[in-house]
Amino acid sequence: MSSNPSKQAAIIAAAEADEIGYLDDNPKTSMMLHVEAIKNVTHEAGIKISDIEAIASPGVAGNVAEYLGLDPKWIDTTQIGGCSFQVQAQHMLAAINAGIFDIGVITHGEPGWARRTGALGGGGRGFGGGDPDSPGPQFEAPYGPAGAPTAYSHAMTRHMHQWGSTQADFAQIAVTTRDWATLNPRAIMHSKETHPYGGAVTVDDVLNSRLISWPLNLLDCCLVCDHGGAVLLASADIARSFRTPPVWIAGSGEAMDHAMLMEMKDFTATSASLSAARAYKMAGMGPEDMEMAMIYDSFTVTAGITAEMLGLTPRGEGPGLWADGNAGPGGKFPVNTNGGGLSFNHSGMYGMQLLVESYRQLAGTAEDGIHGIAGKQTNAKSLVVNGTGGSLSFTGTLVLTAD
Amino acid sequence: MADYNKMIPTPDKFTSKPYWDGAKEGKLMLPRCTTCNKVHFYPRVICPFCHSSDIEWFEASGEGYIHTFAVQTRGSGGWQDDAPFVTAYIDLKEGDRLFTVLRGVDPDKPQEIQIGAKCQIEWDEASDEISVPYWRVVE
Repeated sequence: MSSNPSKQAAIIAAAEADEIGYLDDNPKTSMMLHVEAIKNVTHEAGIKISDIEAIASPGVAGNVAEYLGLDPKWIDTTQIGGCSFQVQAQHMLAAINAGIFDIGVITHGEPGWARRTGALGGGGRGFGGGDPDSPGPQFEAPYGPAGAPTAYSHAMTRHMHQWGSTQADFAQIAVTTRDWATLNPRAIMHSKETHPYGGAVTVDDVLNSRLISWPLNLLDCCLVCDHGGAVLLASADIARSFRTPPVWIAGSGEAMDHAMLMEMKDFTATSASLSAARAYKMAGMGPEDMEMAMIYDSFTVTAGITAEMLGLTPRGEGPGLWADGNAGPGGKFPVNTNGGGLSFNHSGMYGMQLLVESYRQLAGTAEDGIHGIAGKQTNAKSLVVNGTGGSLSFTGTLVLTAD
Repeated sequence: MADYNKMIPTPDKFTSKPYWDGAKEGKLMLPRCTTCNKVHFYPRVICPFCHSSDIEWFEASGEGYIHTFAVQTRGSGGWQDDAPFVTAYIDLKEGDRLFTVLRGVDPDKPQEIQIGAKCQIEWDEASDEISVPYWRVVE
């Protein structure tokens, strides 16, 4: 540990919602309790709500931030029950000590009594459960959205309109990513032996695959399969004392734009531009210093837009990163060397697959290391890895380097 | 209304009551901040732009424009049998944006749907209490 965070942060104000207790006559939704508490605590401290740089709340920090139109540098939804708030205080202490932000709020809004009595509607669901009257169920769910493809296709339509990209441009991302999968025997789409649709594909194959949510076809969409993974982190003092080599977290950043797609400011841009800028700044490096990239590819459009946000291409030209085999095996800038969420493995939350492959590439174990895979080792010493969560909502970017 | 077979929204009676009260009368009611004068949607008790709590409701024109759209081949909440159908985000004439199922378009010909096309709101009576808005391309 390089520095002791003791007394490197303080609680500067505390407040509650306007009314608490048994709100039988005037029940409040969880969001209203959050908003009242945040208004009151910022008023008490003499700051503006817009001064808040970081937000923590079990499960819903992103929703509260979106409701308030905030642009936080740090979002903590850690949900481990009643002690979540104490744990989040430690997380904030560490982050403040590290210089990630200066002012953060930990917020709570929980109409436990009103939910139990049914005063908020829904017939008394007891503790927990969803809120049928929250914005998503009121204003998006009635129109039949069927999972992530419904959302992401709207971004691709807008990108095609705004930047002149085509379905074929995005299809090339799937084609090149599949090329990597053919080198990875553990990729679902490695070959016809591993999957009926496996093996190399062409742009026409992608364009002619079954329509899922226009303009997204089946091969524009990630897999849904099973995965387990983990990474270990250790302090710099001891990082070289293991039998496996260290890969350094040179930079990190996080950001959000919205929770619901309705609130996305520009349908062709994610907050990865912000999270990447923070990561590059911490690393003292830029996109020109990266030798490869691991980019969340829930859909071809996710990867294409993110390439722009990471500064790897000009705006509007993200899919071009994959053109001419540049991002494929043997190309000058390898991307998604495991075969991606599109063709290797995507379990719903793909960020761990990204981290595992990022480590293997920089540690040099992708080819012959522990549980490594033959034939796809790059010689990269630096990479940028970006995860995207929600509906193009949240992003986390790391700049990783090898010795 | 008896044949409305889609998910019927549950109003948040503390935040969006004026919206759903308006809907019942076929009026699009929107919240606007009287401090910064900006319209926001979905409805909130605090302005997401300037954090003022001075929110007023007004009747909007019911006119909007396609911001982006997609064709759905699967659906949830009663929409499964309606596929393919077109979903869209609509830029409201008065500001901000909402989600809908688009009418007056052919889901088999997405290339003919124009971003920026003018749309008008229309209401389906889903129950005695709730009318659900849809948007129809009118040009």
